[in-house]
Amino acid sequence: MRELRFHRDLYRGECVDAAVQLYARYATLTTREEDAHWVVCVEASAPEREERIGNELANYALGLTVRDGGPR
Amino acid sequence: MPPRSVRVGVQSPFPICYSVAVTTIEGFPEDLARLDVDARRAIVDLDASLYPVEALYGAAYVFIDRCYVLLDRPAPQKLRLVLTPKSLDGGEPAVRALVGELANELVSAAYRHQIAQENRARIEAVTMQAIAGAMGPPTLDDLEDFDFTDEAFEDPLGIALSWEEKYAKKAAPDAAPGEDAPEEEPA
Amino acid sequence: MTAGSLVALRDRLDRASPAFFRFRRLGPDRTLVTNLEGRWLVLSDADFEAYVTGAVARSSALYERLSDANFLRASWSEAKARDMIAKRKTFLGYGPNLHVFVVTLRCNETCVYCHASRADMDATHTDMTPEIAEKAVDLAFMSTSPTITLEFQGGEPLVRFDLVKHIIEYAEAKNETAKKTVELTMVSNLSLMDDDKLAYLLDHRVQICTSIDGPKDLHDKQRKLPSYSAYDAATRWIATINEAYAARGLDPTLYHVEALVTVTRAALERPKELVDTYAALGCRAMFLRPIDPFGFAGKTAKLVEYPRADYLRFYAEATDHILELNRGGTQILERYAAILLTKILRGEDPNFLDLRSPAGAGVSMLAYSYDGGVYTCDEGRMLAAQGDDTFRLGDVFTSTYRDLVGHPTVRAMVIASNLDSQPDCVDCTYNPYCGIQTTHNHKTQGSIFGRMRESSVCAVHKGIQDYLFGKLADGDPHVLEAFERWNTIRPREHFLHAPDDG
Repeated sequence: MRELRFHRDLYRGECVDAAVQLYARYATLTTREEDAHWVVCVEASAPEREERIGNELANYALGLTVRDGGPR
Repeated sequence: MPPRSVRVGVQSPFPICYSVAVTTIEGFPEDLARLDVDARRAIVDLDASLYPVEALYGAAYVFIDRCYVLLDRPAPQKLRLVLTPKSLDGGEPAVRALVGELANELVSAAYRHQIAQENRARIEAVTMQAIAGAMGPPTLDDLEDFDFTDEAFEDPLGIALSWEEKYAKKAAPDAAPGEDAPEEEPA
Repeated sequence: MTAGSLVALRDRLDRASPAFFRFRRLGPDRTLVTNLEGRWLVLSDADFEAYVTGAVARSSALYERLSDANFLRASWSEAKARDMIAKRKTFLGYGPNLHVFVVTLRCNETCVYCHASRADMDATHTDMTPEIAEKAVDLAFMSTSPTITLEFQGGEPLVRFDLVKHIIEYAEAKNETAKKTVELTMVSNLSLMDDDKLAYLLDHRVQICTSIDGPKDLHDKQRKLPSYSAYDAATRWIATINEAYAARGLDPTLYHVEALVTVTRAALERPKELVDTYAALGCRAMFLRPIDPFGFAGKTAKLVEYPRADYLRFYAEATDHILELNRGGTQILERYAAILLTKILRGEDPNFLDLRSPAGAGVSMLAYSYDGGVYTCDEGRMLAAQGDDTFRLGDVFTSTYRDLVGHPTVRAMVIASNLDSQPDCVDCTYNPYCGIQTTHNHKTQGSIFGRMRESSVCAVHKGIQDYLFGKLADGDPHVLEAFERWNTIRPREHFLHAPDDG
């Protein structure tokens, strides 16, 4: 399993959600909230796949956040 | 000085998948940038007082075609960028070059952010003139297609209010109790 | 004073008397100062020190110079600044003037650096259809600019001369009601020219532009035709066309084939030969463009690229030689210099789209690809040919004119190419005259904003302006006289299809 931690000061929650929705068909994604982070766990058939999907998801979430002008 | 290999516990934003084989990157202070050899990624820490978050976004965004980029705030006054090159070609020198380029881009983005704030009026005036000059006035067809249902805009002067709405509100303090008072949920 | 440095004077700087200025050291005992609106002076060290420390006596000649050029707060004229800035930015009020038609990607020549991403001669699927061409012309005529230029490019546009003719005739018919001033230009290697085609182009007043990369051996090495010399083909037609202009009574100093140089590494060692080649061909202008990273040049960069310092040495040597020829009575100019000198000496902008602020991509030019795609500029179209469609704005079928020029990409490019939003440029002495290329920034640095300190375009622009201001400061009367001639804008009215031409 790979765990991604998106800091609330730097990522917009809706953008992380949108990225999770987009990549949900490629891996099992579970989410939870912590005080400072949105946390996404990526489970896939192989560690390399988890790595790749996690990386793409993170880039997508960053791209959306930048497009929307940062976190609220 | 050649890069020295150390094995330290890095406080990583991705602790489960992160390795702890970390080396310095030649030319960069260890507390600023280091290379996670096993995971083939560079970790760059920044003093948040030097780089506005807009610069962090601006610089990070430039790299998302070549790298996977993750941001974090490991401490209140610290910002962190983790760059993972999409291509493994070039090895460590390529990663070092990326970190160098990132450092330059960060300075550029931070300064550009400051300039944009200082010159905002001039930049906006020129941009508006260039785009409006090129577009020209809308045609009737353009107006027909225009979406007037866009999100509400701020209206501090109450220009968009009807006469009744505007003056009813002003009249409220003098109105008889109960007449114009907003309805409230019972406590 | 420490050379060109305010640091040594920091304790004595006077913030009250100088108006806004930027400065740059030009060499021993001379510093260039420019102001907001682009007026400029070259000051000796003593004069510069007096200026920045507020020690200029009111009765002095220096005070008068500074005051006349609007460098002093005491006499600063807002009207003077405003009027000159307005004069420099007249292009802002109008939409796309330049409309590039890529009528086909097919080309019979193979160039080592091909910028146009050519296709082989049998690749007919890269031909523009008449329907696409007409829709592109319709969009061009929607421009808010009263003057539009339709430029035929390729590939090699003569491969589809039938389509070029169709566009010309469609545009001429359209202009009977649109009533714009229309210019027609064609960029061709000329190897497929024949008498009939030339007669048509002359009758329809189409300007012809070609490429000459240097002496025959160099040109033929870089631009290959399958069975004969590309140089011979081009130069034969340059001579024929220039003779045809003269035969029609057109002033040969104004009407002649324009030729462009693409300076590759092989050309760097031969600046004088290159200039002499142009002079011998009767060319009145040469544009010493460094190679850029678009098209195939990106792939062949190892063969043709070079450090920009080497280019600037080449540029200085070539332009010095051009000035020598001018001194001897041969009228030939260097186009980069002419563009910049028009801004520096006349306070006007000749509207060269890659060298103005903001740049012209999208707001002052559009490029129509063979498949109907519409791009901010030709470089944007070239990048798309390599798989990067960042600068695609839409297509001729579904996009409206206002969709295209008001596109978010265009807005972003206008902001990014505004020198008042750019680090380095905002403080640069050459800010009033310069410009940046967002497509180049994107291609070489991954962002349309780029980083000018690391940009080869910036290095070239700064270097050429250093050269020109150095010459202006030297004050050689022959050079100044040539520069005055070079910056004189003489419209080629024969090529203007006026609204009432019918």
